[in-house]
Amino acid sequence: MSSETIVETDVLVIGGGIAGCFAAIKAKEQGVEVTLVDKGYVSKTGETPFSGNFGVCSPEFFGHDLAAWMNQVSFLGEYVNDPEWTEITLKESYARWQDLLSWGVQFVKYPNGDWMWWPPRTPERLAKVPFQAIRYFRRKHAEVCRAQAIKTGVRIMDRVIITDLLKQDGNVVGAIGMPIGSYDLYIFKAKATVMATGTATLKPHGAVWAALTGDGEAMAYRAGAEITGKEWNDCHAAIAVNPGANNQHVQGDFTKDRADDYGEHIADGYNAEGNKFSDGEEEVALYIMPDVFEADAGRAPVFSDMATKSSRPAPAPKGIIRQQVDIEAEKKGWQREVAGHGLGMSVHITEGIWPINTKCATGVPGLYAAGDSCGARQGGSRYTAKGFATMSCAVTGTRAGLGAAEYASQAKKPVVDEEELARLKKILYMPVERKGGFSPGWTTQVLRNTLTPYWVLYFKHGERLQRALAEVEFLRDRILPKLTAKDPHELVLALQTKNMVLCAEMKLRASLFRTESRGTHYREDYPRRDDPAWLAWVKIKEEQGEMKCSKEPIPEKWWPDLSKPYEERYPVRFPGE
Amino acid sequence: MSIERIDPELCNGCGTCVDSCMVDVIRMDEEGKKAIVRYPEDCTGCTFCEQDCPENAIFLSEIKTEPLLVCWG
Repeated sequence: MSSETIVETDVLVIGGGIAGCFAAIKAKEQGVEVTLVDKGYVSKTGETPFSGNFGVCSPEFFGHDLAAWMNQVSFLGEYVNDPEWTEITLKESYARWQDLLSWGVQFVKYPNGDWMWWPPRTPERLAKVPFQAIRYFRRKHAEVCRAQAIKTGVRIMDRVIITDLLKQDGNVVGAIGMPIGSYDLYIFKAKATVMATGTATLKPHGAVWAALTGDGEAMAYRAGAEITGKEWNDCHAAIAVNPGANNQHVQGDFTKDRADDYGEHIADGYNAEGNKFSDGEEEVALYIMPDVFEADAGRAPVFSDMATKSSRPAPAPKGIIRQQVDIEAEKKGWQREVAGHGLGMSVHITEGIWPINTKCATGVPGLYAAGDSCGARQGGSRYTAKGFATMSCAVTGTRAGLGAAEYASQAKKPVVDEEELARLKKILYMPVERKGGFSPGWTTQVLRNTLTPYWVLYFKHGERLQRALAEVEFLRDRILPKLTAKDPHELVLALQTKNMVLCAEMKLRASLFRTESRGTHYREDYPRRDDPAWLAWVKIKEEQGEMKCSKEPIPEKWWPDLSKPYEERYPVRFPGE
Repeated sequence: MSIERIDPELCNGCGTCVDSCMVDVIRMDEEGKKAIVRYPEDCTGCTFCEQDCPENAIFLSEIKTEPLLVCWG
């Protein structure tokens, strides 16, 4: 019925976004054979095509103040970034930018020839928000990365979904997967594997990243790796009047001002006077959090002031797409927003597979992680700057590619355990073999409905997290084993549903484990930051078939100054502190 | 926002849109001659198919509604 094809390679890169492309290109440049696999078409897949800023830090060429950038990240991220990784990323950003330029990525320039920086390079803005990124044209950069990968000699396999990693004697020796639209099986034998599948989401309403179903984290978790950063939240908003209208998320992400239904300007209420990064860029820090607090207080709807919208050029889609807004709100220049556009997503570069060294090796030999799949924690508990994620993808992609190439050049030829392969194949095809059961579409819908109300993941409480966890455990134990698939498309949906349920369990357990509030993780029952007890990272690992959380303390040398008053260390006020 | 239809009169069968869709909504028909919207319920409204079609054969709708949640399915 279905055929099996073995693909042998030195380095297998799973995921063809910007991180995966960098990993593949850099590995290939070391002279090893590289196969880059994506469940979509490389350059038209994942979150990469939608990005538009690349952080570039250069004291030498642009007079940047590295210490000021480091301080911005630590401060806004509330001291749960990894400064070693932050520094590496900032220091290597210029070289990665040069890579992109040399490959042909078009970065935007003003008519006078200056690079289009965000935030703009005025002394006033830079004094308040030193971190900068340069704009590039959306989608084009991804096409350039694909072309460069091909030019370098990377073998690209589009529309092949990797479903599980293969292990032999505790090492990752490859993976299995299927071509989209077929039940055929690919068996990849690889000396080293780089996971670059991006961030994990729960197919949020209003979002274009429904392909980001946490496949990489799920596969790595099942293979014994540690996952981190799941308690943090992405806080993008959707347009409230038509939240199902994807690709129209609130332009007010970076407005300077938001107001509740009482007309009160809400960011100020949660941001103490003298907050250093208060020139509208506190929106980078706070995002949707004030909206959540206002909603719980009964003062929704929340409006974004379009008059203060930070202008961002972006190529418009070809057709005419009219944005739906409230007629009344539009007259006033406001846009009504609602959270949830990033449901399931944690914070870019802070969630992902735990790297055990600066070569992006994970705790499972043979497995490396890059981009949003890599939990290197450059940024901390919230987004701290525009362009930081793409910069980090390029840096970790490079390091993971070089690390994987080095490992592969010394590794033995992979041997695949036939028993293990049979076990994984059985799990893979189970939904097809079944008669009767539950559809992945319905199951995903239930999962999303369970987690979407703001009081579960955005305005947390131990009791509500436990209730949601009980629902997720039911899905895991009683529904997932009975998923059915009537064709290969639905089988892919089934696999992704399983991965999303796992992601949801991780988010809920990590949120329960962290008994404090910090950044984008707010708990009503623990409303304050708990220094130094929770100057720590949460790691998740499977132990004897169960998901366990552990605490990794942050070295004291990276702590904030504890002699400073709490309100000064953390100017953002949470309800109930 | 989601895909509404592909006009078979305009479609030239190049298959570009099939690759443009990262969630496998579009496939070629059985003869392999025209692109069809095979799984419209999975469309995320990224608009890549519409952007990439060389014949402007793809039409998007502003409306995307989630199905009602039912007791099992």
